[in-house]
Amino acid sequence: MASTSIEIGAQIPSVTKSVTTESILQFESCAILERENIHNNEELAKQRLGTTYTLASGRMSIAFASEAMRKFFGPDVFHHTGTVNLKFLRPVKNGDTITVTGSVSSQRQVEKGTEITVELHCENQNHDRTAAGIGTAIV
Amino acid sequence: MAEQPLKILDYDKLEIGEELGSYEYVLTQEMLDNFRASIDDPEACFPTLAVKHDATALNMVYNDTTGGVNAGNEVEFFNPPIPGKKIFVKGRIADKYLRRDKPYLVIEATATDEDGRLLERLKTYQMKKPDEVGKKWHPQA
Repeated sequence: MASTSIEIGAQIPSVTKSVTTESILQFESCAILERENIHNNEELAKQRLGTTYTLASGRMSIAFASEAMRKFFGPDVFHHTGTVNLKFLRPVKNGDTITVTGSVSSQRQVEKGTEITVELHCENQNHDRTAAGIGTAIV
Repeated sequence: MAEQPLKILDYDKLEIGEELGSYEYVLTQEMLDNFRASIDDPEACFPTLAVKHDATALNMVYNDTTGGVNAGNEVEFFNPPIPGKKIFVKGRIADKYLRRDKPYLVIEATATDEDGRLLERLKTYQMKKPDEVGKKWHPQA
């Protein structure tokens, strides 16, 4: 990233991720409670959701979006002032490829500097939007 | 961790502002490595996302037999956690509301480490009618 003068409309680096059963389970393995859920138990997903598959945690999309934001702002900025706020619009599951894109939509002066707002979108391989929201960082 | 018997989660009885579990754990290098591998990002620094602090806090207090679907997350990053350090988490019920006849529960957790560094604040919007997902996205199931 650059300086504090960031142009409205500037694109952040896109990030593309393959979601697999393995990656979903590995993400779930980081939990500190051993617990069956709709992400790691297909039968429970069927009971609760009525799906025939487990869902990737929405927090995986948060992590993907965070990577795109970090690449734009740099870790020194993003890891200390960053936010990501996503609304999940459709399920993400094994076999999906998720691409995060974003563009700077606004900036404003705050106590600690200039808060930059980025509109964020996640799409799957069919170009269906899976999540949308904003991220911010203070430069 | 959860020493007391879990209460059955009754959405109607949940109170906004209610404190959820407070707990601590040691973040390990293995957790960080697993997190990075799972999202294919060797520079990712917040494995706390996958620990799901807020949902963990809820699950340490309540037995949620209905479950929910994550409708959205808000996360604020303050400082990356350091492997080997103890992490302290406090959770609470931030909000609950009905939208389009669907009940939503908003849970929140704030994490600090053993040195008092603020790490992360995470909020999850749970939609508490998870079968709506199947009806909308998988109607033939």
